[in-house]
This record gives sequence, structure tokens and C-alpha cells, in this order.
Amino acid sequence: MHKNFKNITAVVVFILMGIAFYENFQLMPAYKGLGEGVSDYIIRSGLSETGSLNLITAVLYDYRAFDSLGESTVIFGAVSGIVLILSRKMLPVSSRGLSFIVKRTLGIITPFIALFSIYVITHGHLTPGGGFQGGVIFAAISIIFSIVYGSAFDYRRYSPQMKTAFETVGALTFLGLGIAGIFMEGYFLHNLGFLTAETGTLISAGSIPYINMGVGLKVGAGLAIIFYSMIQKTFKEEI
Amino acid sequence: MQILEFLLLIFLVLAAVMAVRFDEELISIIFLSIFSLILTSLYMLHKAADVALAEAVIGAGLNTAIFMSAISQIRHGDSD
Amino acid sequence: MFINAVFIILFLLGFYALIVKKNLIKMVIGLNLMEAAVFFWVISFSDIGGEVAIHKLNEAAVNFNDPVPQALTLTGIVIGASTAALLLTLIIELNKFTDTIDRDEIEGLNN
Repeated sequence: MHKNFKNITAVVVFILMGIAFYENFQLMPAYKGLGEGVSDYIIRSGLSETGSLNLITAVLYDYRAFDSLGESTVIFGAVSGIVLILSRKMLPVSSRGLSFIVKRTLGIITPFIALFSIYVITHGHLTPGGGFQGGVIFAAISIIFSIVYGSAFDYRRYSPQMKTAFETVGALTFLGLGIAGIFMEGYFLHNLGFLTAETGTLISAGSIPYINMGVGLKVGAGLAIIFYSMIQKTFKEEI
Repeated sequence: MQILEFLLLIFLVLAAVMAVRFDEELISIIFLSIFSLILTSLYMLHKAADVALAEAVIGAGLNTAIFMSAISQIRHGDSD
Repeated sequence: MFINAVFIILFLLGFYALIVKKNLIKMVIGLNLMEAAVFFWVISFSDIGGEVAIHKLNEAAVNFNDPVPQALTLTGIVIGASTAALLLTLIIELNKFTDTIDRDEIEGLNN
């Protein structure tokens, strides 16, 4: 009786919510296209102003770079919370690792994963990609090490202190380029115009590639710390 | 193109329903990963390359690893 | 329109998992589904049938899709992953004290 009443209430509430959504969609005006407004401005003059072929990277790291700074702060807050809650003075050992064949194969493949991550980060202003995606691919290397070799190996190769140093370097790069924008161009996080080279080459688009590298280091190290803190802690071992 | 998008949307809804209705967490997480993979191809069909790359890397890769590591250390007491 | 119907179904599925399900991990999965529904709706709403918003060298600009919603969606995806990780961490820590992840058992109810 009690359970039935709860289920019927839930169904009624969901049907009413669906009707409300449907009515809202009926009232919504149609998408007018890109005749005017900020999107049209970015599409028309984004290439000549920033020198970045990829317009999404231009929006993320030039026009709305302050948003990306806030996003980095959110990731920093999540990392701080997770490490604060789950921190223990133990060497985490998730497993002894998989078989010999898997370990050897991963040893051959790992440099190519790192190469792909570096490609995605440094070509963020020319091709799809950028600091966030490349940074997560970079964190995937640490995750694969923890799964295949066991997390003690990951601890010895890339210790948490080293990951923390990477994250700090990334954040300081981002902030330093922002403050350099104040002195050189007059605004916080303004694109550094004197760094601009020929459009389409690897070193172009002002300070966008350097911000990409900073964001990549910060996101990669931060997500690797998150995964490293969340794996299972089985027993204590002298470090 | 239209037919492909239609089919992918149907599979998207099916994967979401499966992810919600199963009671075991492992099956739900696998279906959430499949959901992200289908969403990646839909983003690519809608010409959003950067978003597709981010969804493939984060939704199908990192989220699955984090969820797995969470359910691997959850203990169920004998209070059934 | 078909996209709107898919958005409503996905959003309500996520809301259903968030409200009705008693398993805490299923609630986080429902939150992820709601996020994905909103992001997918924003991307498909701003698709006007143009090209990927990346210039080609030595070619005039053709009609592009809107780059601003794509950039905002990219920001949202990364933030969604980190908030999911934080929620799962809280669930793990709660599980150490209560030995269960059932919502009602944690609150002391039995049925």
C-alpha cells in the first residue's frame, strides 16, 4: 500500500514535469542563426584577432579565458577535497598487476600514448583538441599504470609530490601569462600580441599554445591525483 | 545521415534506460560508458569535434575508471 | 521535434534515478545522465548545418557552427567529471562508517 502510493506519486510528478518541459519547448523561439551578435563577431574576426585557426580554442583561451581560469580553480577545489578526505599515510597497493605479456605490451605502447597527448596539447590552436583533452589523455597513462603494473609501480615512477609539482607549474604558467597580459597589453589574460608568428604554424596565435600547455599539465596532474587517491588501500608498507 | 542519427538516438535512450534500471552497479557503469560512446558519435554528427574528443576521453574513459575504483572498495554489510 | 523529445526522456530518466532509486551510486549516475542530456540539447540546438568551426589555411571562411556553445559545453564536461569524483569520494567515506550505500538504511529506516 505504502509502496504503491509512492510509485503512483512519482509517476504523476514525472508526467507533469514532462508536460511542463513540452510546453516550454513550444514557447521557445526558433534559433535565428548567426546573423548578428557575439558569435557572428567571433566567427568573422576571430582568426585575424587571435591568429588561432581553431575558433573554439580562441573562445576558450582568449575571449573567455577567465572562464577557463575559474574551471581550473574548480578542478583544484575537487582535488583538494578528495585528497583531504581520503588521505592516509599508506602505500596504496591495488593489485599485483596483470600477466607478463600485458606488461611488456604496455611498455611498448606507452610512449605513443604520451606522444598523442603531447600532440593534442600543442596543436590545440590548429586541430581539434586542447589542454583539457590532452591533459586527460596524459592522466590516462597514470591510470593504465595503476591497473596493469599495480599502483606501487605508479607510486615509484610518478610520486604524488611530482604530480603536485606538475599541477603547480601548470597553474603558475596560466596565472603568469595572465599577469603578463596586464603589463604588456593592459588587460588581465589579454593575448600577447608580440608572440604572434605566421598563422598556421606551430608557434603562432600569441600566448594560446603556452596557456594550452599550462592547462594540460594542470588538468592531467589533477585528474591523476584524483584517481590515485581513490584506488583501494590494502596494506601498509615501508616507503 | 538522418537514418543514422535516428538509430543512434534510439540506442542512446536504450542505453540510458538500461543504466538506470539494473540494480547491480557494475552493469550500470558499463551501460553509462556505452551511453558516452554513442553520445560521442552524435556530437561528431553535429559537427562539434572538440566536444566529441572531450566526451570520448572523459565520459567513456576517465568516468568509467573513477566509478570502477569507487565500487571496488564499497563493502556491503550483512544487514540484508 | 525529435531532439526535444530525447532531451525530455533523458532528463526525466536522470531525475527518476536521482529521486526514486535508493542506491547512492545510482543517484550519481542519474546526475551524470541529466548533465549529458543538457549538453546534448545545447549542441544539437546550435547546429545550423554548418561546418566544424575550424578555419582552413588559404581558404575563405564558409558558414560555421556556433563556437560559443561548444566552448561552454567543453567547460561543463570537465567540471561534471570532477564533481562526480568528489561525490563518489564522499560515498566511499560514508560507506566506511555505515557498511551500506542504501539511502534508507543510512537514515535508519527499514523499509
